[in-house]
Amino acid sequence: MKILVAVKRVIDYNVKVRVKADNTGVETANVKMSMNPFCEIAVEEAVRLKEQGVASEIIVASIGPQQSQETLRTALALGADRAILVKTDEEVQPLAVSKILKELVNKESPDMVILGKQTIDGDNNQTGQMLSALLDWPQGTFASKVVVEDGKVNVTREIDGGLETVALQLPAVVTTDLRLNEPRFASLPNIMKAKKKTLDETTPDELGVDISPRVKTLKVESPPAREAGIKVESVDELVEKLKNEAKVI
Amino acid sequence: MTTEIIQALEKIVGTAHVLTSKDDTHEYGQDWSKLFTPDALAIVRPGTIDEVQLIVKYANEHKIALVPSGGRTGLSGGACATNGELVLSLDRLNKISKVNKVDQTVVCEAGVITEQLQNTAEDNGLYYPVDFASTGSSQIGGNIATNAGGIKVIRWGMTRDWILGLKVVTANGDLLNLNQGLIKNATGYDLRHLFIGSEGTLGIIVEATIKLTRPPKDLTVMVLGLSELSDVYPVMETFQQQLNLTAFEFFSDKALNKVLSHHDLPKPFDSPAEYYVLIEFENESEQTSETAFSAFEQVLENGHVVDGVISQSETQAQQLWALRERISESISHEIPYKNDISVTPSNVASFLESINTIVKEKYPEFEIIWFGHIGDGNLHLNILKPACLELDEFVAKCKSVNPNIFETIQQLGGSISAEHGVGLVKRDYLEYSRSHEEVLLMKQIKQVFDPNNIMNPGKLIAL
Ligand SMILES: Cc1cc2nc3c(=O)[nH]c(=O)nc-3n(C[C@H](O)[C@H](O)[C@H](O)COP(=O)(O)OP(=O)(O)OC[C@H]3O[C@@H](n4cnc5c(N)ncnc54)[C@H](O)[C@@H]3O)c2cc1C
Repeated sequence: MKILVAVKRVIDYNVKVRVKADNTGVETANVKMSMNPFCEIAVEEAVRLKEQGVASEIIVASIGPQQSQETLRTALALGADRAILVKTDEEVQPLAVSKILKELVNKESPDMVILGKQTIDGDNNQTGQMLSALLDWPQGTFASKVVVEDGKVNVTREIDGGLETVALQLPAVVTTDLRLNEPRFASLPNIMKAKKKTLDETTPDELGVDISPRVKTLKVESPPAREAGIKVESVDELVEKLKNEAKVI
Repeated sequence: MTTEIIQALEKIVGTAHVLTSKDDTHEYGQDWSKLFTPDALAIVRPGTIDEVQLIVKYANEHKIALVPSGGRTGLSGGACATNGELVLSLDRLNKISKVNKVDQTVVCEAGVITEQLQNTAEDNGLYYPVDFASTGSSQIGGNIATNAGGIKVIRWGMTRDWILGLKVVTANGDLLNLNQGLIKNATGYDLRHLFIGSEGTLGIIVEATIKLTRPPKDLTVMVLGLSELSDVYPVMETFQQQLNLTAFEFFSDKALNKVLSHHDLPKPFDSPAEYYVLIEFENESEQTSETAFSAFEQVLENGHVVDGVISQSETQAQQLWALRERISESISHEIPYKNDISVTPSNVASFLESINTIVKEKYPEFEIIWFGHIGDGNLHLNILKPACLELDEFVAKCKSVNPNIFETIQQLGGSISAEHGVGLVKRDYLEYSRSHEEVLLMKQIKQVFDPNNIMNPGKLIAL
């Protein structure tokens, strides 16, 4: 079984994001970038399926600038077999991403595509679902458990108020949630070996995908600063404030 | 007498800030060493420098012994009150000034928590590099009084290197303003440096002007596995020569297992290893990573390391650091007898070998946890108390081996206390690291500043 995993290079989860002075976006110059945490989980799940003997090949793809190569190299070090960089310096919105992934699926014919449920920069949570619609494949989103058997994949999904398990006919699209697995560290010997693995480059143009944005960002602003807390002198005062100021009891 | 003292103190700071309950005297009477029984007279918590001066004047007049108290995370008993002393807590002296962006300085009162200083620097696009596992509780005053070191010393030095000015209250209640934040000041004896590392024996530190610096870029962490203790030095040598390191730490597999059994953290890799080193560097460019990889290949080929990982994100860097930083707290319930010892980095190979020989021979029945800031030549050797042994008996057994360890350190020209201070734990061993003449001068200095011996008496040196 062949698996395609999509990964994105984003601002590191621990960086305090600052809005640009002209409100057109967030500051990315000199900011640490890393693999999107949900994508790390997607790579890990694919590698585990390979280790279990379920998957035979893992192809990892990223859409973005030249530096996305680093993210792909990380995925290769973690256990992916080869990588594809779809190079562009333009903003690529979820619909365009899913169209590009669809083209890659047509070329590579994987049996499963694993993606993060969302990236922590746009927080859109759309790509997996759109890809599934474009391909007309079944989808198992927010996966917390993935089991492949008899040409099917059983995906346990984290839904409001509980867990739901769906059985999907392969080929299928799976998006990962936080509890699916704990990604491993990149081992240094594997990083060395990953340098010899194939990393192909292509572009949206070559794939025949129009990535022009469909959504226009008008303005980006920081959330309002939180007010400092106060200390109350007594329980009575606390109750009084909860009642009359916070109006929660 | 006690009631009189309490009343006098209450007059100075108000009744709410003199504590006498059993819980409080127990809590404030001891530090993290946990080797001593607390016995404090009371705790006084001044809110201003004026109040500190009044308290000290009163104590000096009435010859009441004082124990300056910071976050009490010290590991040498320096902040313990075991003889009915009055604990002077700096908790409420916790104001922090605006950052001066031209001078790159900030003025902190002594009770500012170290982490708060780090955060203030960060909020202003700057960096306070002194860092260690207890910065969430330790105070800047306590850091200065012990000249704290930690995990970034290899690149940024000790607390001493970041103190541009100090305000201190001496035993007669005078307030000294030392070096006023100056970079250059060639006017004779620099008394500021006497107070750094003085462990509360010369006076009370009430305020400090702290230097800040530019934040490092993209700190990247590697953890490498080693099969022998003798592999530590060659690995250190290789990385030290090729990269600009910001940390080079070391810990044993036993230490790692203690952490993993107390915390939900991932193991770095499955290959078995007896020892680990944690290496951190600023990943400035692709070339830096290439250098790091080639250094790794070199030590792998030479058989000094068995496996290794490298952080791919800040989260992973933090997870890897946690493996090293959580050791102390993961063993604290086993009341470790701590040796915090050092030599020059180039002596690390023979140092580790000699200590290992002593440990094997003298402590066959104890569990030993090895870790430390080995890139600075600093080893933390922790001997764990077996549950079946009484504390006194355990300490006595550990102490009986001290001379062997300290003689080795003396021969190597090292120190019996690298960064945890002397306090009560190491006081009687001082002459292994300081000459008799030096100790005599130290005593005379103490008498000049504190003729009535009220400032943390019995700590650091015995008069
Ligand atoms: C988990 C853990 C890890 C640690 N790691 C490190 C490490 O890596 N490197 C390191 O150097 N230390 C380390 N320490 C030791 C300790 O945290 C430091 O020594 C710290 O600087 C002590 O600060 P404190 O405010 O807690 O001081 P305290 O313990 O309260 O006091 C220490 C000494 O300073 C005196 N003192 C305190 N405040 C003042 C003041 N305002 N004026 C005059 N004297 C004063 C006290 O009387 C005492 O003698 C560690 C401790 C723990 C618990």
